Amino acid sequence: MVVQNTPSRDIADLIGRCAMRDRAAFRSLYERTSAKLFGVTLRILKDRSEAEEAIQEVYVKIWQRADRYVAGSTSPISWMVAVARNHALDILRARRPMSDDIDVALDIPDAGPSPERATQDNEERGQIERCLATLEADRANAVRGAYLDGYSYEELAERYAVPLNTMRTWLRRSLLKLKDCLTA
Amino acid sequence: MSTSDDSGPGYAGRNALVAEYVLGLLSEAEHKRIGRLIEDDQALRAERDFWVARFGELNEEYAETPAPQHIYKAIEARVFGASQQKTGWWESLTVWRAMAGGAAAVAVAAIGLNLVEPRQDVGALTTQLVAALEEEGSNVKFVALYDGSGNVRLTALSGEAVPDRDFELWAIQGGNNPVSMGVVPVNARSSVAVPQNVLAGLGDGSVLAITLEPKGGSPTGGPTGPIVAKGAVTPI
Repeated sequence: MVVQNTPSRDIADLIGRCAMRDRAAFRSLYERTSAKLFGVTLRILKDRSEAEEAIQEVYVKIWQRADRYVAGSTSPISWMVAVARNHALDILRARRPMSDDIDVALDIPDAGPSPERATQDNEERGQIERCLATLEADRANAVRGAYLDGYSYEELAERYAVPLNTMRTWLRRSLLKLKDCLTA
Repeated sequence: MSTSDDSGPGYAGRNALVAEYVLGLLSEAEHKRIGRLIEDDQALRAERDFWVARFGELNEEYAETPAPQHIYKAIEARVFGASQQKTGWWESLTVWRAMAGGAAAVAVAAIGLNLVEPRQDVGALTTQLVAALEEEGSNVKFVALYDGSGNVRLTALSGEAVPDRDFELWAIQGGNNPVSMGVVPVNARSSVAVPQNVLAGLGDGSVLAITLEPKGGSPTGGPTGPIVAKGAVTPI
């Protein structure tokens, strides 16, 4: 096991103290992490006043869910970024028109990473960049846009000037390729 | 249209739904549906965590942007503002009362009764009482049974011990501060002698709660940690 660096452990400790309802720890946690999380909400929502409202809701969630952070399963700042990113995406998703999905059976991954493997993977950095580099540049950028900017299939199709179904196919094929590369 | 396995040769029968879920590409209805499937399946959770960790490597690209000064005050008001208590306890108690729904009216009635008519004849409490203790977001579940003779028997239904922490049992009666009934084991049955001051008001409308506390129990005499389970006491 790689020993977590000190800043990361500090943040994990602060989250733990928030779970114990320590208000001073909550303030420290905010001071240490809010610029990063505000960067997340701002990039995804692309509107300053919406991002300011969202960041407040994000920290309310972090306070409420601090006891659910499991140290070691993911880095503490990744957990916090995920809370911020998911909250911003929820806001965007609620605004999008209803789509006519049909229920798709979800295949249970048989070749998925074991929890142990996933943990090992956490300690190897730079894999996603290496594997994104194996995709065509446009497709890699579409994956990045989906993750970092929260673009929908519709927005990506428009940005890359391809039909919606083509974009869906691109993305899904890219994700399967990425998985093969990441688990190879 | 949302079939995800139409990705061409070599991908037959495979789909990328978990990755699409993590990226946030699914519609709201589909996102909720897949989210529930993931929560219910260990392998899917591992798959989700895998993608969260891998894509998380891209988080460095989010530029740090200081939030305006007034934001923290607004957050503090939202998180702590509902009450000016030292801890989040009463906030949680309010939540509990809201969650208890119909029981809230009963609880309020019982509180009123206790204020008017404090029960001093502790020996008279021979009624058997039961409480199911649980909390959303926690897997700690207990059943508490007051045996009618001064003891509460606790049976843990689920939950694991937490390293360097202890679970502590509290009785909440009316508007009074929670009274500790001591540290309780999570993996075993246990019996707790009910303190006299608790016995005096124990009955319909009382609440038992379990919080996560530092080893050995709360250092302050009041709860300091999150509530992991709670429930209203009812006669049987």
